Amino acid sequence: MSVTSRRLAGLAVCLSFCLSLSASAQTSPDAGTPSASSDAGTPPEEASPDTGVSAEDMKALEEALGQDAAAAAQSGSSAAASGTPATSSTSGITLSPSNINIRGLELSFVLDVAGAAFTSKEPLQTGGHDPTVSGFNFQQLEMSLNTAVDPYFRFTGNIVFSQFGVEVEEAYATTTSLPANLQLRAGQFLTRFGRLNATHPHAWDFVDQPFSIGRVFGGEGNRGLGVEASWLTPLPWYVEVIGSVTDASGEGTARSFLGSSSGGVTSPFDFQFTGAVKQFFPLSDDLSLMWGLSGANGPNPTGYRNRTDVIGTDVYLRYRPISGGSTTMVTFQGELFYRRRQVPQDVLSDFSGYGQALWRFDQRWATAARYEFGSPARTRGSLVADDPLDPEWTDDRQRISANLTFWPTEFSRLRLQAATDLARWRERPDYSVFLALEVVMGAHGSHAF
Amino acid sequence: MSPSRWIAALSAALCLLLSFPARADLKVVTSVPDIAALAKAVGGDKVQVTSLALSTQDPHFVDAKPNLALDLNRADLLLAIGMDLEIGWLPTLQNGARNDRILSGSNGYLDVSQFARKLEAPTTPVDRSQGDVHPGGNPHFLYDPRAGLAVATGIADRMITLDPKNAEAYRANLAKFSTELEQARAGWEKRLAGMKGVPVIAYHRTTAYLADWTGFQTIAYLEPKPGIPPNPAHVAQVLGQGRQKKVRMILQEEYYPATTSKQLSKLLPAPLVVLPGGTNFRGGQTYIQRIEEVVTRLENGLKGQGT
Repeated sequence: MSVTSRRLAGLAVCLSFCLSLSASAQTSPDAGTPSASSDAGTPPEEASPDTGVSAEDMKALEEALGQDAAAAAQSGSSAAASGTPATSSTSGITLSPSNINIRGLELSFVLDVAGAAFTSKEPLQTGGHDPTVSGFNFQQLEMSLNTAVDPYFRFTGNIVFSQFGVEVEEAYATTTSLPANLQLRAGQFLTRFGRLNATHPHAWDFVDQPFSIGRVFGGEGNRGLGVEASWLTPLPWYVEVIGSVTDASGEGTARSFLGSSSGGVTSPFDFQFTGAVKQFFPLSDDLSLMWGLSGANGPNPTGYRNRTDVIGTDVYLRYRPISGGSTTMVTFQGELFYRRRQVPQDVLSDFSGYGQALWRFDQRWATAARYEFGSPARTRGSLVADDPLDPEWTDDRQRISANLTFWPTEFSRLRLQAATDLARWRERPDYSVFLALEVVMGAHGSHAF
Repeated sequence: MSPSRWIAALSAALCLLLSFPARADLKVVTSVPDIAALAKAVGGDKVQVTSLALSTQDPHFVDAKPNLALDLNRADLLLAIGMDLEIGWLPTLQNGARNDRILSGSNGYLDVSQFARKLEAPTTPVDRSQGDVHPGGNPHFLYDPRAGLAVATGIADRMITLDPKNAEAYRANLAKFSTELEQARAGWEKRLAGMKGVPVIAYHRTTAYLADWTGFQTIAYLEPKPGIPPNPAHVAQVLGQGRQKKVRMILQEEYYPATTSKQLSKLLPAPLVVLPGGTNFRGGQTYIQRIEEVVTRLENGLKGQGT
């Protein structure tokens, strides 16, 4: 068996597994168990299986069910809305019933696991929760905690269990009653740089993170220990201004800044400063646009007062017809990062970014595609630089990914994803296939838009 | 222009500017349009009411769009159905609104389910293997005008607490609404007398309170479990049950898919009655007009006419 045919066979197995699961979910004879079909009150009486439903009747019903599914594919049709995870539809998570709530402490667990196949022995995955090896991958088990502390603070924690350890990914307190539309966060948190950075894997449309985030900020994204202030302006449309001060150290979280190099804070300029402006435009009931501008500045370890700047912009366009109760949703999302690093005797700069589109064509199905690119770091003279962070990154890199997602309910999802990675410094493109399963247990809070 | 005219113009402009925010005394935001209609009936011209969800939207699943947080940021009173109906989206908006007046537990937050008699509250422990169950009971109580009146009364009390100077207006509005609703209810009940004991099939578990009020019997649901889309085996069973029990109509909200229901309606045969998902508050519909619409459609269903 050649490598290619083996790959194809693997893909076929993945696909058939995914489809058979979906089929069994669609046709599981739930009605056979009367108690199971009861919501909460008296179960409707169940008839015996043979109650004069002829084969023709069955055929007609099956056709009708098929049409409902097809109708959902067309925008504006009236398709099933119940069970549709509209709140965070792309992640497929809402919360009902909230069955882990201990006296106001909301608890939830999200498990992400994936089977992966890479053609390269050393895949170029950058994310801390990406599948990274061929075979089974334990991406994470995230425990989220959320509760009001007192009338002045809320507490949010995201503790991530990996196969070999526990990590406090986020733990912060948010103020709830500051005047003048102000809000403060203190603790360890993902900074609100761009769109994707502040979110966790279960809010993503893809199994892995865009490589630009891993490259610029680190596998865990731009995260830090510090304090953040945000202000909702009194303008007639939604404009939020955010600023934060965080420690610039941490390999997986601040790699373009101090990263893992030792050298703590000795002056106020040793922090990382992050700022962002987010604007929201409800173009119509069905169409929404979010646009953000972000910037970060902090020291890097290459010398006294050498600093790194990252400037980014993000757009998110969502079409979701709510006037017809449709389940259709189309989203476009893109982020661009420009990074500039002062190094001894030179300035290195590079671009990276991604653009992605998602089309949810049925209550349970969606497909998405993503394009990513990254340029090598260049010197002021436009020569490819000798990059101390990514020495192998000497040429352009592009990656194209596509996936298909199936949600049995809003609390679980199966995703099949394939990617072609064209890192020009490698001899040939890398290919990868993932089959990922995610399950959500408990009252997982919905995400902001 | 003389200086005195300037001053006059300036003060006129100032007056205009200053009077602008005082147009309504109370800014009320509601999660769903049914409550918005009730709040408007009670508040009248003393309140400005906005509903976060539209009547065509499934209230379980609303996008937490930032412009909705903006509405909440400027609200004095937030009215919600409660019973976990909005749990997927409202807390996010509340926490992001930076308005501690409308946080749960504050005076500016009112969970109106406390005024309704609750049905279908599970008596045994539930979990998600049973589908989208509501552990606190069925939250679709505003289908019952008796619950509508109780909720309106509760809203009036809260408006009086928050805005005592308009207490008289709120009391008068409530009295007027109560009279009109009770009169209308007598008529509705007469028209729907034929619904007693009538077997119907529903799509989702939204019919509990309507059934409790009008007396029909929901013998089966098209969804095998709440929130799980119908599948052929289950629908075939429902068809069998429907024929056996001589079902008179199929009931569903307009936001559910209709092809399966239409096919079932032909095979049974029984008319398909599609109910509006909520009050068309934005279009100016009142709560009484909404129930009137529901009653008319049920009445037509009894005569064998689908919607």
